[in-house]
Amino acid sequence: MPGADKETDLSERIESFLSELKRCGSGAGSLRGSAETARETTALLRRITAQARWGNAGELMEIIRKEGRRMTAAQPSETTVGNMIRRVLKIIREEYARSRGSSEETDQQESLHKLLTSGGSSEDNFRQHFTHLKANVIEAINELLTELEGTTDNISMQALEHIHSNEVIMTIGRSRTVEAFLKDAARKRKFHVIVAECAPFCQGHEMATSLCKEDIETTVIPDAAIFAVMSRVNKVIIGTQTVLANGGLRAVNGTHTLALAAKHHSTPLIVCAPMFKLSPQVPDTPYNHTKLKSVDTILYIHILSKVNAHCPVFDYVPPELITLFISNIGGNAPSYIYRLMSELYHPEDHEL
Amino acid sequence: MAGKAGKQSRPRKAEKDEEEQPLQAVLVADSFNRRFFPISKDQPRALLPLANVSMIDYTLEFLTSTGVQETFVFCCWMSSKIKEHLQKSKWCRPTSPNVVHVITSDLYRSLGDVLRDVDAKALVRSDFLLVYGDVVSNIDVSQALQEHKQRRKMEKNVSVMTMIFKESPPGHKTRCEDDDIIVAMDGKSKRILHYQRAQALKKLHFPMNIFHSGSDEFEIRFDLLDCHISICSPQVAELFTDNFDYQTKNDFVRGLLVNEEILGNQIHMHVTRDGYGARVSNLLMYDTVSSDMIRRWIYPITPEANFADQEGQSCTHSRHNVYREPGVSLGHGSQMEENVLIGRNTVIGANCTISNTVIGANCVIGDNVTLDRAYIWNRVHIANDVKVKQSVICDNVEVKHGVVLNEQCVLAYNVVVGPDITLQEGTVLSMHHPDEEDDEDEDEFLSDDDVGYSKDKTKQKGSCSSYFIMLFQNEVHGTLQRGLDENISCDNLVLEINSLKYAYNISLKEVMQILIRVVLEFPFQQQGAQISTAQYSSHLLPLLKKWAPVFKNYVKRPQDQMDCLASMEEVFLERETHWAALVKVLMSVYQLEILEEEGIMRWFKQSSTTGKSQQLRRNQGLLKFIQWLEEAEESSEGDE
Repeated sequence: MPGADKETDLSERIESFLSELKRCGSGAGSLRGSAETARETTALLRRITAQARWGNAGELMEIIRKEGRRMTAAQPSETTVGNMIRRVLKIIREEYARSRGSSEETDQQESLHKLLTSGGSSEDNFRQHFTHLKANVIEAINELLTELEGTTDNISMQALEHIHSNEVIMTIGRSRTVEAFLKDAARKRKFHVIVAECAPFCQGHEMATSLCKEDIETTVIPDAAIFAVMSRVNKVIIGTQTVLANGGLRAVNGTHTLALAAKHHSTPLIVCAPMFKLSPQVPDTPYNHTKLKSVDTILYIHILSKVNAHCPVFDYVPPELITLFISNIGGNAPSYIYRLMSELYHPEDHEL
Repeated sequence: MAGKAGKQSRPRKAEKDEEEQPLQAVLVADSFNRRFFPISKDQPRALLPLANVSMIDYTLEFLTSTGVQETFVFCCWMSSKIKEHLQKSKWCRPTSPNVVHVITSDLYRSLGDVLRDVDAKALVRSDFLLVYGDVVSNIDVSQALQEHKQRRKMEKNVSVMTMIFKESPPGHKTRCEDDDIIVAMDGKSKRILHYQRAQALKKLHFPMNIFHSGSDEFEIRFDLLDCHISICSPQVAELFTDNFDYQTKNDFVRGLLVNEEILGNQIHMHVTRDGYGARVSNLLMYDTVSSDMIRRWIYPITPEANFADQEGQSCTHSRHNVYREPGVSLGHGSQMEENVLIGRNTVIGANCTISNTVIGANCVIGDNVTLDRAYIWNRVHIANDVKVKQSVICDNVEVKHGVVLNEQCVLAYNVVVGPDITLQEGTVLSMHHPDEEDDEDEDEFLSDDDVGYSKDKTKQKGSCSSYFIMLFQNEVHGTLQRGLDENISCDNLVLEINSLKYAYNISLKEVMQILIRVVLEFPFQQQGAQISTAQYSSHLLPLLKKWAPVFKNYVKRPQDQMDCLASMEEVFLERETHWAALVKVLMSVYQLEILEEEGIMRWFKQSSTTGKSQQLRRNQGLLKFIQWLEEAEESSEGDE
């Protein structure tokens, strides 16, 4: 039966995606960037919409929520998965509202006035069936996919406004967004880049090699020298793993040090992050994803049983240390992040 | 032209097919030893929980993440439980990348039996991974696998197995002392030249021929930890089938190394530096591997990863390696200090201090409880004021208030420990009576670990060999009896005794001793133990005459004569009343030319240690005989 085949095919794909997620976080599988994960999540959600059995928007949202919970549980540190799920849920809500004919987009927001006047639950919980809902949702998801593909280019296009000639830029670790950003600026401007190596995985080395290939003058420094070198730096440009709801960052370890040093020297800190990294999480649950991979740590520390070795992967950077967020929709201040979030996600979807 | 292209592409395609064979693994879910008794009486070792996840799940996760696509799980003890567990687990879902086949049989007695079955069923098509069900590891085997395949391609099928070791300094706690090995290897090709278990040995001997291996880089290493993971070629299974006495991996390795010149097979090794691999072979290793897991040394296999995909088992990871599953409630003032894993729906009372502990699901723990390095499994009730130090408490145990468990105690399933009891170090409490163990099958389980365990070794080896000797003795008696009844010729008797010797693996010396013993005791067997000396001799001497050729076949060298006499001495020492008969026996044996004067004289002159044998030598009859013998000697020399 083709229906049953489709369903098993779908669940197989979901399972394989889940196991990929579980493994990629550890570095055992292929290391993925957040953009790839976002794209694959969205593609999978599109497939679920197309192939799963649902009669109305409510059911579809339930299905997506259920799969979404499993996906986020598989790899909690990979927040782009949850973000894409919330985006798709928002898309479904919008399409449903459009199909119903209520054209005011502002209906979506809870406001005091609405609470007073409407009284009780306004929606009929998405139970109405619309024949074209599926096609519309899939089309909207395709638009989302196109947007995802263009994020890095959109960000790089803004590079020339921010980087001027003969500037010294500092960055930390390896971010594909920042790399593209700097390479784009390097086509027209000449500047210097200082890369902090970000031990113990030393991703900064790869970043420096890659920048060198584009003839950008690069210097690699150890993390301990960040403060010392900061006085000579004009701008700090970094990438991040997640942008939190309060405007703070969850970025690679060492970023907090960098941000504090920049604040001390009043050097502007610019964060290049595409919109799909924006997450409705708040920093009260510090999930500090610990890894232990370094050979040196194992060899001599393992001998002493009383010693615990910690190797946290992420840092929290509070919003007051950040100057500017550059995303695919333009530059924004950290205090504006909450507003951007309300445009991307529906408040009921914050908790999957 | 098309034809030629076709021909060219076909061998290439065949090669590609060969390379794309899915990686297979053989998982032996039975350890063939009783290290975890009495815990493993109720639950097979592979299903015991380590950090609240069954051990076999860790092994399967290791295999799956290293790219194995087909696993054969072999179970013997309590196989139905293992099968049930696997079928409910994520490995048997249709979407699992690793297809798991469970094969059960009650006849497996050792690793050798399993591999012979693998060969008989022709399950493996190409190189496979061989692991035990209690291996916990995160090693990425693909590099070792590449090297192995390369080696086999370069020298056609000479390398039979690649063993995986981890570098680990001696004395490190992850090294199991029973498993310590010393390895001599060729530094360049990583070939194993000599392999020996090093436990409790003060001196080690290396045969000279390993130094002539033809390479100039030679390493002797003691810093290796055996991960019990091996990459085997299909030849391994065939070799086990060919050699029926290979029972354990140790046998196999040593056998191969000894027979290397004849068969030309080689074993190589792969040493990993990063990556963790250990086998939970006894309770101390259980403690070590558990605490390594909690302290995240086996990343990416960590408790909160929930790789086994169990519902409701995802836990949160907080500072100081404290993991909590959903539904945990902690009383007021309780401290989870560090390295603690608490299972779901567990209730912990007030003012408890918990550190370096794993607690299972649905436990109820009272107030003022101190848990340090405790491993508590599911549904355990612990009342107030209990102290537990480095102990294992299994499912459904009830510990009443005021109990103190000192180090290395084990409370097996369903035990209830009463109020205000202090258990000494190393106490094991179980619902199973210890004597119950003996009525299990008499067949010996053969595994590498037994050889290492020093106390058990003497008991086990002793009981094993004396058991066989008993059997042999009975068989010889039966043979001789039949020889008498049916008038079988001595040649045939010799043939029968020889075949019995091979069947029971008895040495030649022992054969002779037992033969003497049986013959000398024959009259007692026939006519009861109370016969007089005269009756005894009259019965025995014709028998000696009849079976003289049999004796002559076994007593050839002077040493044999000494052994023969020693054996006779033993028999007669047991029967003090019949010493007079000894003279007659010696006389007849001498006359039948089974023994010679020199032998007898030497034996007589031998200074004996026990008072009884000294007394024997002072026996009148014996002295007279010896005197006569000396005179006879002189006279015979005089004649010549």
